[in-house]
Amino acid sequence: MTVPFNWSLALPEIVLSVCGLLILVIGVFQRKNASGLLCTGLAVAAFVATAVLVLGAPSGVGYRGTFVSDDFARFAKLLALTGAALSVILSLDYNGRQKVDRFEFPVLILFSTVGTMLMASSENLMTLYVGLELQSLAIYILCAFARDEVTSSEAGLKYFVLGSLASGLLLYGISLVYGFAGTMEYGGLRAALSDNAPVPAGLVIGIVFVFVGLAFKLSAAPFHMWTPDVYQGAPTSVTAFMAGAPKVAAFALLLRIMAGPFGHLAPQWQMLVELVAICTMILGALAAIPQTNIKRLMAYSSIGHMGYAMIGVAVGTEAGVRGTLVYLATYLFMTVGVFACIMAMRRNGRPLDRISDLSGLSRTHPLLALTMGIFMFSMAGVPPFSGFFGKLMVFAAAVQSGLWTLAVIGVVTSMIGLYYYWRVVKVMYFDAPEPAFDRGARPVGAVAGAMGLVTALFLLVLGPVTGAAQAAAAVLFR
Amino acid sequence: MENGLAAVGIGPFLSVGAILLVLGVFGIFLNRKNIIVMMMSIELILLSANLNLVAFSAAHGELSGQVFTLFSLTVAAAEAAIGLAIVTVYFRNRGSIQVEDVTLMKG
Amino acid sequence: MLSLGLLFGTAVFAPLLGAIIAGLFGRVIGDAASRIVTIALMVLASVCAVAALATGLDSGSQAIAVPVSTWVQAGGFHASWQLRFDTLSASMVTMVTVISTLIHLYSVGYMAHEKTPVSRFFAYLSLFSFAMLMLVSSDNLIQLFFGWEGVGLASYLLIGYWFDRPSANAAAVKAFVVNRVADLFFMVGIALVFLQFGTVAYDNIFALVPAHASSVYHLFGSDLRAYEVIGVLLFIGAAGKSAQLFLHTWLPDAMEGPTPVSALIHAATMVTAGVFLMARMSPLLEYAPVAKDVVLFIGATTCFFAATVGLVQPDIKRTIAYSTCSQLGYMFMAAGCGVYQAAMFHLTTHACFKALLFLSAGSVIHALHGEQDMFRMGGLWRKLPVTYAAVWAGALALGGIPPFAGWWSKDAIIDGAFVAGGLGLYGWVLGVAVAFLTALYSWRMLFLVFHGRPRVPELADHAHESPFVMTLPLVILGIAAVVAGWLLYPYYVGERQAAYWNGAIFNGAENHVLANLDQLPALITLVPTIAAFLGLGAAVVFYVLKPELPGRLAASMRPLYLFLLNKWYFDELYDLIFVRPYRALARVLWHGADEGIVDGSATGLARLTAGGSAQIVRIQTGSIAVYAFTMLIGLLALCSVFLFFG
Repeated sequence: MTVPFNWSLALPEIVLSVCGLLILVIGVFQRKNASGLLCTGLAVAAFVATAVLVLGAPSGVGYRGTFVSDDFARFAKLLALTGAALSVILSLDYNGRQKVDRFEFPVLILFSTVGTMLMASSENLMTLYVGLELQSLAIYILCAFARDEVTSSEAGLKYFVLGSLASGLLLYGISLVYGFAGTMEYGGLRAALSDNAPVPAGLVIGIVFVFVGLAFKLSAAPFHMWTPDVYQGAPTSVTAFMAGAPKVAAFALLLRIMAGPFGHLAPQWQMLVELVAICTMILGALAAIPQTNIKRLMAYSSIGHMGYAMIGVAVGTEAGVRGTLVYLATYLFMTVGVFACIMAMRRNGRPLDRISDLSGLSRTHPLLALTMGIFMFSMAGVPPFSGFFGKLMVFAAAVQSGLWTLAVIGVVTSMIGLYYYWRVVKVMYFDAPEPAFDRGARPVGAVAGAMGLVTALFLLVLGPVTGAAQAAAAVLFR
Repeated sequence: MENGLAAVGIGPFLSVGAILLVLGVFGIFLNRKNIIVMMMSIELILLSANLNLVAFSAAHGELSGQVFTLFSLTVAAAEAAIGLAIVTVYFRNRGSIQVEDVTLMKG
Repeated sequence: MLSLGLLFGTAVFAPLLGAIIAGLFGRVIGDAASRIVTIALMVLASVCAVAALATGLDSGSQAIAVPVSTWVQAGGFHASWQLRFDTLSASMVTMVTVISTLIHLYSVGYMAHEKTPVSRFFAYLSLFSFAMLMLVSSDNLIQLFFGWEGVGLASYLLIGYWFDRPSANAAAVKAFVVNRVADLFFMVGIALVFLQFGTVAYDNIFALVPAHASSVYHLFGSDLRAYEVIGVLLFIGAAGKSAQLFLHTWLPDAMEGPTPVSALIHAATMVTAGVFLMARMSPLLEYAPVAKDVVLFIGATTCFFAATVGLVQPDIKRTIAYSTCSQLGYMFMAAGCGVYQAAMFHLTTHACFKALLFLSAGSVIHALHGEQDMFRMGGLWRKLPVTYAAVWAGALALGGIPPFAGWWSKDAIIDGAFVAGGLGLYGWVLGVAVAFLTALYSWRMLFLVFHGRPRVPELADHAHESPFVMTLPLVILGIAAVVAGWLLYPYYVGERQAAYWNGAIFNGAENHVLANLDQLPALITLVPTIAAFLGLGAAVVFYVLKPELPGRLAASMRPLYLFLLNKWYFDELYDLIFVRPYRALARVLWHGADEGIVDGSATGLARLTAGGSAQIVRIQTGSIAVYAFTMLIGLLALCSVFLFFG
C-alpha cells in the first residue's frame, strides 16, 4: 500500500469521539443532582467544532482504504451534525421536565453521530458495519432512556430486537458479498463486478441482504414496522433525533454503495429500490390516515418521506441523487421543527401526543399553530414551502429518466398525504379550543421558529443547498 | 499437510452458516414465549455471519474477513450487553418478559 | 339634436335609477318612498319618451345615434353602447314607458294587501322596464341581447315573485328554461351575423345586407342561403320570447306571477320583443323569403292554436294569456307577409287593450280575493261597474268590432295576408277563423264574469270595486283601446306611414303588400269583420241565451273538448319527448355516470384508501414476531425479484 497514512482525514470523527469520552468523564465526576446543562452545552460545542472541522477537512481515501472524505460525505455529515445539535438543544428542556436529564443523553447522541459520520465516510463494508452498529447501539439505549416508563422500555426493546435482526441480516449479507466478490473495499467490489461475467447468485442474495439491512434503518416498507411503535414510545427528544440524522446517514450509505460498488448492477437493484419506494410511499400515505397520535402520525409521515427520497435512489442518476439530498435536507429541518412543536405540547406538566390535543391551537398559541401549519403544508409538498422543492426535484428526476410510475404514485400519495396533514391544520384552526399548554421553554420555541423560517423561506437558500447537493452527487458519479 | 478447508471445500461451511441463519430468524418469529430466546436467536444470526466471514477469509487466503469477525464479535458483545440491559429495564417496568406482552403500542 | 338625445336617454335610464333606488335602498327608505320614487321616475320617463317621439316626428323621423359609451372593444370586435333613436324605437319606448307607468300606478293598489315589503316588486318592475327599453333602443345586436336577457331575468324574478308558492317557482324556472333554449338559437344567429358582416351594429349590417345576399352555407351537402339560416335562427329566438308555437308553453304558466306583471310583461311589452326584433331586422328578413314563410306559417298556426285553446280555459288569466299568444301569432303573420308596419300597429293597439284586459282581470281577481275561475264568477257587473266598462272596451277592441282599436290593426294584418298571396292565403283563412274565435272567447269571458247569476254567491257578495288608483289606469287604457286604432292608423299603416317610419322599417323592392292594401275588394275586407260579429253573436247565444249549450256541446264532442282543454297536449308531448327522456338521461348520468363513475371513482378511491389504511393498520399488531416475519417476507420477496427478474 503506497497510500500514506493520513490521520487528518478522520479528524472530525476523532475529535467528536474524544469529546464524547471527555464529556462522559466530566459527567461522571459531576455532582449527583446536577442538571444536564453542562454536558449538553459541551455536546453542542463539540458538534459545532466538528462541523467546522468537517467544512475544512481534506478530501481523500485513508486508513487502508476503509475511510473516505469527499463532498458527498461532508454534505451528509453536516446534515447529521445539524440534526444532532438541534435535537440535543431540544432535549434539554424536555428531558428536564421528564426527569430524564442525565448526562449520558448528549453523550449517546454524540456517539450515535460519530457512527452516522462513519457511515457517511465508509469506503469499506467493515466501516459500514461498525458505523451502523455504533449508531444503532446508541439509539437502542436512547429509546429506552426513560427507564421508568413502560412505553419507552418497550420501544427500546422492540427497536433492539428488530434492529439486531436487521443488522444480523446485514452482516450476513456482507459476508456473502465478501465471499463471492473476494473483497470488502468499495473500489475492489466495483472492479470485481464490472467485468461482464454473470453475477453469482450468492452475491445477489448478499446485496439484497445488505439492502434490507439499510432499508430497515430507513424504515422503508416492508421493513418499517418498528417505526410507529418506537417513535411513539421513545421520549420525544429521542424521536426528534432518530427521525433526523440517522435517516440521513442511512441514505448516504445507501446512495454510496448503490452508486459505487454495486453501480454496475444498477439495472437490477434499481427495480428493488423502485418496488420498495412504491410500497413505502403508499404505506406512508395510507397508514397515517387513521392515526390519532401525533407522534405515530409523524412516524408514518417519515416513512412516506423516505419513500419519496428513495425515488432519487431508484432513478440512480446524478439528478436523482441531488434530488434525494435536497429532499433529505428539507426533511431534516421539517422533522426537527415538528418535534419541537410536539415537545411544546404539554399541559399540567404532562406531555401530550394526541392530535385532538391540538384543538383550537390557533387561538391559544397562534404562533405555535402557525409554525406547525407551515410544517404540515411543507410536508404535504405545498409550494412555496421547502417540502415542495424536494418533491419537485425527485419527481422531476424520475420523469427525466422515464420512471413515470414512480412519479405518478408519488403525486397520488402526496395528495392522500395532504389529507392527513390538512386534518392536523383543521384541528388546530377550526376545532373548539382546548385549555392552553404550559409555558414553553425558550430553546424549544427558538428551534421551532428557526425551522419554521427555514421551511417557509427555503426558496432563499434553495440555490446554495442545491449547489452543495449537486457537488456531493457529482462525487458518486466521477 | 492438507488444509482443512481444502479437504471439505467451502460448501459445508456455508451450509452450516445458512442453517444457523435460518434457525436464528425462525427463532425470532416463531418463538412466542421469552425475549431471552429472541436474543439468543440474534446471537445465532451473528454467529452464522461470522462463520461465513471466517470461512470465506480462509478460502480467499485473505485476512480482512477474520478482522471483520473480530469487530463483529465485539459489536455482538456490546449488543448483547445493551440488549440485556433493556430487557432488565423492561422487566422492571412490566414485570414480564413474555413476547406477547410487548404489544402495548400498535396500530 | 342634443335635447332629443337627452330626452331619449332620460326615458331609457330613468327606470334604471328607480330600480336601483328601490332595489338597493328599498328597505331603508320604506315602501311608500320606493313606490313614489319609481312611479315618479316612470312618469318622467314617459313624458320624456312622448316628447322625444314628438320632437323626432317634427324633425322628419331621422334616425339618430345617442352615444353612451364604448361597451365591448375586443380585437376586431367592436360594440359601442349607444341608443338608436328612430321611429321604430321611439314608438316602442313611448308605448313601453306609458304602459309601464300605468301598471306601476295600478300595482300600488293591487299589491296593497301584501304582507312583505313591496319595494322589491317595484324595483323589479322598474328593472324590467329599463331592460325592455334597452332592448328596443339598442343600436346593435349585442346590446339588444343584453336587454333581451335583462327582460328574461326580470320576467323570471317577477313570475317567481311569490317565492313561497311552489307553482310560481316552477313557472319561473320553466319560463327561464324555455327562453334559454330559444336564446341559444338567437345567440348562434347573432354569431352568424357577426361572421357574415363582421359587425353587430344595425347600420353597418343593413348597409352590407344587399352585398352579401348570395352567400351560402354548405351544410350536410346542401347549400343553405346565409340569410335564410340567420333569419330562421333569429326567428326561433323571437319565438321563444314571444311564445310562438312549440316554444309557447311557458306563457300560460307565467300567469302565476302577480297580475300587473302579466299585464306588463306577458301581454303588453316583453312578449312583443320578438315582433319588434322581426321589424328591426326587416332589412335582412326581406332578403330571406323562406325565413319569412316560416315566420308566417308559425305565426298563423300559433294564432289559430292559441285561440282554440283560449276558448275552453276556465281560468280568466289563462284565457287572456292564450289570447295574447294568439294575437302575437297575428303579429308574426304580418311580419311573415312583409307588412311589419301592420305588425307594429297591432303590437301597439294590442298593448293597450291587452293591458286593459289583464288589469281588469286583476281588478276582478282582487275584488274576489284571488279567485281566478270564471265558472265561480258571474253577475258582477253591478258590483264592479268601472271594471265592467273597461272589459267591454277591451273586448270590443280585442274582438275586432269596428271602430275599436283591434279592428283597425287586425284587419290590416288579415288583408295583408290576402294581398301577399301564396302561403299568405293560409294565414288569411286562419286569420278569419281566429277573428271569429277571438270575438267568441272575448265575450265568453265577459258574459261568464259579469252576466248571469252569481255562481258562488258568497264570493260575489263580498266583491267591491277597486280603489281609484287601480281604476284610473283602467279608464285611461279603456279610452286608448277605443281610440288608438283610428288615431294611429294613418301613421302606422295608412297614407302617412312612409313619412312616419322613414326607413326605420324596410320593405324590399318587390314587396308591395302595404301599398296594395287599399286595392282589396271591399267584400274581402269585410270578411273578418263579419266573422267577428258572428263570434259575438255566438257568444251571446252560448252564454246569455242558452247557457246550457256549451256544456252539451262539450259533452257531445268530448275528445275535441279535452284536446283543447289540455292545450293540444303540448305539455304532455314535451313531457314525453323532452322532459322524461331528459330526466331519464339525467337520472342515468346522475346515478350511473356521476354517482357510479365520477363519485364512484372518488368515493371508491377514498374507500380503497380507507380500507387500505385499515388493513395496513391491522397488520401493525405491535407484536415483534409479526414485525420480524414481515421483514422476512419482504427479504424473500426482494431476493426472488432480484434472482428471477434481475
